[in-house]
Amino acid sequence: MSRRLRVDWPSCRARGLCHELLPELVDLDEWGYPVVAGEVTDALLADARAAVRACPRLALRLTDR
Amino acid sequence: MSALASPVPVPQEVAVHEGPALLAGLTDGPSLAAHRGRYGALPEVGLAALRELIRASGLRGRGGAAFPFVRKLDTAAGSTASRAPGRRGGREAVVVVNLSEGEPGSAKDSALALTRPHLVLDGAVATACALRAREVHVVVAGDRPAVRESVVRALDERDDAVPIRQHATEPRFVGGQARAVVELLAGRPNLPVTSWAPEAVAGLAGRPTLLSNAETWAHVGLLVLRGGAAYRHHGTDREPGTTLLTLTRPGFVPHVHEVGYGTRLRDLLPPGVHGHPALVGGFHGSWATWPTLRAARVSVPGMSALGAPLGAGVLLAPGGSCPLTLTSRVVDYLAGQSAGRCGPCHNGLPALASVVRELVHGDADGGVSGAAGRAGRLAALVTGRGACAHPDGTARLVRSVLAVFPDEVAEHAAGRCAVEPVGSAAEDAGEVAS
Ligand code: SF4
Ligand code: SF4
Repeated sequence: MSRRLRVDWPSCRARGLCHELLPELVDLDEWGYPVVAGEVTDALLADARAAVRACPRLALRLTDR
Repeated sequence: MSALASPVPVPQEVAVHEGPALLAGLTDGPSLAAHRGRYGALPEVGLAALRELIRASGLRGRGGAAFPFVRKLDTAAGSTASRAPGRRGGREAVVVVNLSEGEPGSAKDSALALTRPHLVLDGAVATACALRAREVHVVVAGDRPAVRESVVRALDERDDAVPIRQHATEPRFVGGQARAVVELLAGRPNLPVTSWAPEAVAGLAGRPTLLSNAETWAHVGLLVLRGGAAYRHHGTDREPGTTLLTLTRPGFVPHVHEVGYGTRLRDLLPPGVHGHPALVGGFHGSWATWPTLRAARVSVPGMSALGAPLGAGVLLAPGGSCPLTLTSRVVDYLAGQSAGRCGPCHNGLPALASVVRELVHGDADGGVSGAAGRAGRLAALVTGRGACAHPDGTARLVRSVLAVFPDEVAEHAAGRCAVEPVGSAAEDAGEVAS
């Protein structure tokens, strides 16, 4: 089972904070919406949790699938 | 932005052909009396017996994903059993018949509603009773009034132990998407939302929600009424049973056929489309060339292996008219149907549509390879980035047109189309010659 960062797309408003907090995993597309790549490794877990907490739209979640 | 009209209109009429199982005895008409006359009373089946019937049949969902239905049933049944602490009576399940074909090229669920509504309802009611479900919901497409009337008439005739409620979706391509339907039932806007758990675990009001399209329920109904041997009588040993297919030709009333798995696809295609490609699986589907179609048999794994998955059984056959032009119009339409909720879909699909338009109309920036490359990149970019699979399906169509018609794409980019426009003399000649 791999831990992933998932975006609740209808909630996301492209504020881009997730990219600033977690550039290792989150890129932005040409419209400013996050492009999430790969699995949340243990090394990135703390930063991923911080991004989830910081998203002003509560649009990020850590999931197990 | 006003959405562009679908290149294939939502069908208001359907030509339904007599079939071996679900569509047997069409001349009896759709009434409850005729249905009971043919099949008898709906027997009561316990959950274990129903599960075994469905498991042994190998029934897969007929909404497009071909997911084994027994697994969905098990999930719903298991989620019913796991009572939320402190909640009296546990988590009663909800059964949903999804009759809302949002895909304009599809008419098979409409065909069932018009000709076999009680088979569909029997499947849902038998399952609801086995699960001790709280209620059954029947969701029809708001823009198919004849279907709605037929369902209302059928519900008026029945007297079931479980309450059945009827609803209508907004006329929108994604209005029939599972989560959008659950939202509608919950009294919220009929739009997809992010799904954090399968509907069968937590759907309507957090209850286990067993939602499936009309064809799946009709197969369940027939299994309960006629037993598993009758189901396995059709199809092949490895893939038993029958399936419904919608043959849609622009400018014609759609035709719905029921065939056993293993049937040669070309036997279903009228001579007028022989020799030409077809879009398999509808607007979210994949193009197949005539050699592929000619060799294909109706089969879920078989068609997937050919790169043209059956999906919900739509065969969109434009005959001799240009598949690229049609694709561009479909992508334009799909881009306008995104409902605009999710940024990547709202921005990405119009961008994708405009690149496809450039390719097809021969004014591509940077030539054909540049535009094809951009189309491929945009298709990859939108995939998996929405609350529903609409961007994924649209991207699939674009990737398919690039992969199946590379020479035609190059011709178009150079300002040429090898195919005569629709309705031309060449096409009429094709009808006779093929
Ligand atoms: S921080 Fe939240 S709202 Fe902003 S781009 Fe990331 S997911 Fe979207
Ligand atoms: S992915 Fe597109 S179609 Fe689906 S809900 Fe989001 S915006 Fe609407």
